[in-house]
Amino acid sequence: MLKITHFLKSKKTWFYILISLLLIALPFMVSEYITYVVVLTLFYAMIVSSYDLLLGYAGQLSFCQGAFYGIGAYASALFSIKAGFPVYLSIPLSVVITALVAAGVGYPALRLRGAYFAVTTFFLAHFVYLIFLNEVWLTNGPLGLRGIKPLEALGGIDFSSTTNYYYLVLVCFAASIYILYRTANSNLGKMFISVREDEDLAESFGINTSLYKLVAFVISALVAGIAGGLFAHFFRLLHPSTFTWLTSEMVVIMTLVGGIGTIFGPLIGASVVMFILEFLRFAPELRFVIWAVALIIILIYEPRGLVGLVERIRRVKR
Amino acid sequence: MIETILAQLVNGLVIGAVYSLIAVGLTLIWSIADIPDFAQGGIYTFAAFAAYFTVTLLHFPYFFSLVVAVITGTLLSVTIEKVCYRPLRGSPFSQLLVAIALFFLLANLAIFLWTPKAKILPSPLEGIILNFAGFSVSLQRITVIAAAFALFIAVNFLLKRTKLGKAIRATAQDPETATLMGINRDFIYTVIFALGGCLTAIAAALIAPLYAVYPEMGTLPLLKALVVVVFGGMGSFIGALAGGFLLGLIETFGAIYVSVAYQHGFAFIILILTLIFKPGGLFGRS
Repeated sequence: MLKITHFLKSKKTWFYILISLLLIALPFMVSEYITYVVVLTLFYAMIVSSYDLLLGYAGQLSFCQGAFYGIGAYASALFSIKAGFPVYLSIPLSVVITALVAAGVGYPALRLRGAYFAVTTFFLAHFVYLIFLNEVWLTNGPLGLRGIKPLEALGGIDFSSTTNYYYLVLVCFAASIYILYRTANSNLGKMFISVREDEDLAESFGINTSLYKLVAFVISALVAGIAGGLFAHFFRLLHPSTFTWLTSEMVVIMTLVGGIGTIFGPLIGASVVMFILEFLRFAPELRFVIWAVALIIILIYEPRGLVGLVERIRRVKR
Repeated sequence: MIETILAQLVNGLVIGAVYSLIAVGLTLIWSIADIPDFAQGGIYTFAAFAAYFTVTLLHFPYFFSLVVAVITGTLLSVTIEKVCYRPLRGSPFSQLLVAIALFFLLANLAIFLWTPKAKILPSPLEGIILNFAGFSVSLQRITVIAAAFALFIAVNFLLKRTKLGKAIRATAQDPETATLMGINRDFIYTVIFALGGCLTAIAAALIAPLYAVYPEMGTLPLLKALVVVVFGGMGSFIGALAGGFLLGLIETFGAIYVSVAYQHGFAFIILILTLIFKPGGLFGRS
């Protein structure tokens, strides 16, 4: 009982309730276009918050979240087009494939540390892009993969409408954030932090650091795969250029802008970055220039990102 | 048949020379300053554009544009070190992120300024064709290979025979003790970044007439040079040299005999194999 009253008195609780209500009411308040942008933002929010588990908790810098997003998207689309599987089966299958690729690459790559690992994942992202581009028999190459089926109607709910799909993505998003948050605050999360803080020390305590790094890497890939699968049947057109190293770089920027090691920080980062990107659509290259400059300034002056900035303002106010 | 092999051998050496030139600078920077300097990819692009504008806009001769490219590359590299890497010294994690952000920034800035369209940098050397017993090759290609070798000899002389080179090697071995011996660490960092920027710029300006000048031209050479650094062995001059040429040859011959589409994927396979079987690299310690 005490716990509940404490829970209700906390400012944080009301803040989260307000955000949730806003997200639920969103399609009735804004145009379909904004809803559409929010769906895309939610995909990125899923990717960055899972990436935060890898970067912010396990301390491993990787540059291939865009590739896992792409593998999830292409695999799910191909299962439904070439094998004729229902989307409810093709998305889980694509997630399994993404996780397998991550485990296969992560196993040798995670024996490396820091920059070596980062460079390897950078290359993985490029290699995956080359596969999307060149294996024309499978992915239709530079022409793009068309004719992807929408999610089948379930219980009379037609998922080809943006609003209904928005709710589905919102549920997936909420579930993944909840699971990630619980993971980050569990014993597993503590293991990740021990790897981040001092790998040698963790190892000397008998912690299997390679295993925990691999687990963090696979979890982050898995969530990116889910987002990819959901994206494929929402956008219904896949093109290799959506999944270049620039996508992976944007994921890193969003995470760092938000503030690493917080799970929620990157969500703010993803929303801010996505919406400013949308507003600056008239100058496509300039917006990436702006974000790259922003990232460099953040790294030099406020490494904890927007979360750190908010805390700093609060302290000044007091 | 033999002509094809000879022609591909020259192509492989030309590409290899570019990888080696960038890799020599990268391996120095990576082993001494502990930064995998992704920004060199952007410097490569900007140096090539500097050469391009010197020739097409200002109508200076091609040889003069090489000088302009080198000045651009060196200044850019030194400025980046001073402004972006120096404040973050001691936190390699942030430095790596800044390096990649710079790479992303310079590539997109180039697209913003000069559009993604590929441009041709004319060179008088490209028109001169040399004949060796029925086998012909343009003077530009010969120049790339010859210039690369001349530079390697010069860099080797600098590192092994001069006092400055001794100071650089001392800093690489043990930065703290080197500082105690009166070596100015900041100055050494400036020198290695200048050297790296200079070598990258020369590589870009030399190869630009053979291919094209466009904003994303730096991405692949940079990634391959990073692989060469790991493949050859971190901090190894000879490793960067040999690794670069070897990768160039593997790519050109792999493109004919294995797959053209995955020409740029071979480096990834080499990287993974190196990391599994010989993590120290070909000429690395351990």
